[in-house]
Amino acid sequence: MRSISRKTFVLHCVWLTVTLASVAAFAQSAPAAHHDVVIKNATVMTVTHGNIKNGSIHIKDGKIAAVGESVTASADATVIDAGGKYLTPGIVDSHSHIALDDDVNEATSPVTPQMMMKDAFNYQDKAIYRALAGGVTTSLLLHGSANMIGGQAVVIKHKYRATRDEMLFPNAPRSIKFASGENPKRVYGSRDQLPSTRMGNFAVQREALVQAQDYMREWDNYNEKIRRNKDDKDVTPPKHDLKLEALADVLRGKLMVQIHIYRADEMLTEIAMAKEFGYKIRAFHHALEAYKVADQLAANNIAIATFSDWWGYKREAWDAIPWNAVMAMRKGVRVAIKSDSGDYDRRLNQEAAKTMRYGGATEEEALKMITLNAAWIVGVDDRVGSIDVGKDADLVIWNGYPLSSYGVPEKVLIDGEVYFDRSQPGLGTTHYKEGE
Amino acid sequence: MMQPSASKPVWSGHSCPLPLLLFLILIFSTLSTPALTQDKPVVLKGGKLLTITHGVVENGTVVMQAGKITAAGAASAVSIPSDAQVIDVTGMTIYPGLIDSETNLGLTEISSEAMTNDLVERSDEIMPHMHTAEAFHAESVLIPVARMNGITNAVVAPEGLDTLPGQDSFIQLAGASATEMLLIRDNAMPLNFTGDERRNKGGFEKQKFPATRMGLAAQLRQAFIDAQDYKAKWTDYERKKADAAQNKDKKPEPLAPKRDLKLEALLPYLEGKKTIVLAAESPSDLQTAVNLANEFKLKFVLNHIAHSQPVLDYVASLKVPVIVGPIYEAPKEDERYDAVYSLPAQLYKRGVKIVFASYSAHNVRNLPDQAGFATAFGLPYDEALKAITINAAEIWGVADQLGSLDVGKTANIVVANGDPLDVKTDVRQVFIQGRAIPMTDRQTQLRDEYSK
Repeated sequence: MRSISRKTFVLHCVWLTVTLASVAAFAQSAPAAHHDVVIKNATVMTVTHGNIKNGSIHIKDGKIAAVGESVTASADATVIDAGGKYLTPGIVDSHSHIALDDDVNEATSPVTPQMMMKDAFNYQDKAIYRALAGGVTTSLLLHGSANMIGGQAVVIKHKYRATRDEMLFPNAPRSIKFASGENPKRVYGSRDQLPSTRMGNFAVQREALVQAQDYMREWDNYNEKIRRNKDDKDVTPPKHDLKLEALADVLRGKLMVQIHIYRADEMLTEIAMAKEFGYKIRAFHHALEAYKVADQLAANNIAIATFSDWWGYKREAWDAIPWNAVMAMRKGVRVAIKSDSGDYDRRLNQEAAKTMRYGGATEEEALKMITLNAAWIVGVDDRVGSIDVGKDADLVIWNGYPLSSYGVPEKVLIDGEVYFDRSQPGLGTTHYKEGE
Repeated sequence: MMQPSASKPVWSGHSCPLPLLLFLILIFSTLSTPALTQDKPVVLKGGKLLTITHGVVENGTVVMQAGKITAAGAASAVSIPSDAQVIDVTGMTIYPGLIDSETNLGLTEISSEAMTNDLVERSDEIMPHMHTAEAFHAESVLIPVARMNGITNAVVAPEGLDTLPGQDSFIQLAGASATEMLLIRDNAMPLNFTGDERRNKGGFEKQKFPATRMGLAAQLRQAFIDAQDYKAKWTDYERKKADAAQNKDKKPEPLAPKRDLKLEALLPYLEGKKTIVLAAESPSDLQTAVNLANEFKLKFVLNHIAHSQPVLDYVASLKVPVIVGPIYEAPKEDERYDAVYSLPAQLYKRGVKIVFASYSAHNVRNLPDQAGFATAFGLPYDEALKAITINAAEIWGVADQLGSLDVGKTANIVVANGDPLDVKTDVRQVFIQGRAIPMTDRQTQLRDEYSK
């Protein structure tokens, strides 16, 4: 791999380009796997209905067609014998910033809801592959936390080596990232700008939402006049403003609000703000003090995407405790463990397993934190996050018990196709060719 | 699937069993001095002993007396002192306290708060006269958090920003004061040659010396040459002084050379009396650094080498131990996803002695997870365990005191509900110098406060 000569390297590059082009061409003509796949002889951890020993899964057109002790499929189906190993749904990372080439913060204004993370998405980033090799099949790529209102997220599937558009999670709901606390006040405070305090933070947020209300009123007013008299020549349409349009979509409930937040008091303020303006908060991210106000989170159906045991890296992470996830869960909060990192997204299974130790989550509860609950936060829990008929065949075969230090993925399937296979040489990606 | 459940779990959940609780209360209420003294023998009876040096004892007993292990073996073969506090640890796994071979414990509290950090002196690359022992904050909130997971000893190193950032300390994670916790001051010195991370690189308008690998190497070489000269000056002085003493009338008393703390600090290393911890990542940096070390006959162990996979045979030929990783270091762009995960196994296969380090302060508690994860990529289990116990004790020159359940060693002992290398395993009690350490820290206090 390292010692290839310059000549063969050039040849390989050309060849690889041709190969990739043909793969891309094939992929465009065949967006989904047409053939049947059967995975048999697996310990299937369904997440929603227990484990099935010696279980099988029938995959048809990239979806789970059947799951049980035995399944029937056409004779020409590709059969993968899992050899008794564990099979889980693909991991969903509900908070990631990989594959954005560090274009994570448009920190030129504290309110930038019109930023689309999709526009920065670098589908060739190797971080996508490395997370895939750790069993991650879906990620929510979020704006950073420099701004009180950042940008709109993009949801990807980790189909490393597929085309850019194939990697976008089809028809995923839209999410917007809000932030709070130290980051915005540090970024703008260091420039002697607003906000430099938590008061400033929330004032900026409220001001933006008030502007959005005004904007909506202008349009409602215009639309009402046009509805009354569509030929009214005296009525001119208001200006289209991408920023306010995005915020209006928050108020209209069309954007799921994901909030970067640490302190419990700020969570309560954000809940009050959401009520004041009539939108819903989908999830608090990081949420390291959720255990202090878990009742209020549960009452407002706000999930958390949190770390297992990170702490102390800044003042607002000082009260972080590793029992946070389970304490919040026991109060009825939907809890996900997320990476926020191109490191931890490679072993989220271990991070989830820590909740079994800190607070005594059950195996299924722990697994749910990196699958179904994370999928709910992203808004795709009807499509991924468990092994149920009709869901996307995003699956991981592990060589050992996944909720431990030891289990690592052997094969990762997305939409029924193998995208990672540890037994393959080179990167272990299925599109590997000699000399890669 | 899950950990096989213990046959007779003694401690379940968070709470201690009543006898242990009473025992702890007794110990803390009767303690006359805050120092780590063990009043009476403590016996851990009926546990699974991971002795490290002489295998696994399924039904074993350990006796701790006066801070030392006085017996460790099969329950049937160990006699229990009549005045001992006997704790039934049936179903538990007993192993020696874990040793983290590089941490920043005691040098930081909140990473982003500058005034809580004493990680590295940024004014110069060559700072061998910085002593972590002199900044070590014994009351750090982070230390109990780390020891709650069975880490009882650690190397405290300055952050790796400078070429020579200062000298390490070898600590014990409990004690009445820094004096008690600092087992060895200046036990080793990092030499960082991780060229990609040099701080003075950048545009020409900002560059200052040393901005390149050449500059770093030249500066380092000059430092050791200066130290050699300094040593020669002092040797010459001592000779003249002795000469003058013998010939009192004829020869005048020579003038002592001016002390230079920087150069003085380098001497034990130049003389091969202490260990240099040589950090490099890539093959070229590694070889440059090793050549430099050999040029001055430094005694060294290697550190990191996370991207030196192409030269592992060379590494093995050096016949020095390696502090490997962290294995979570991201692979280079062209490397396979497990290039760094599998490094410990690759080194072990070549006969290299390895140890692990958390390279952390807040996450020291996760040291064993890394060892466990390395086994998923080919490192034998026993070697992974050794890499955070006896191997580390050997490298840091304390194998006669730490790193295994052997008679005569310090009674730093962990009682856990299972496999020490699995993320799910819960540590139930830690003993340091034979004394049961309170299993509380700021985080358990917050947990308990908000669980009411």
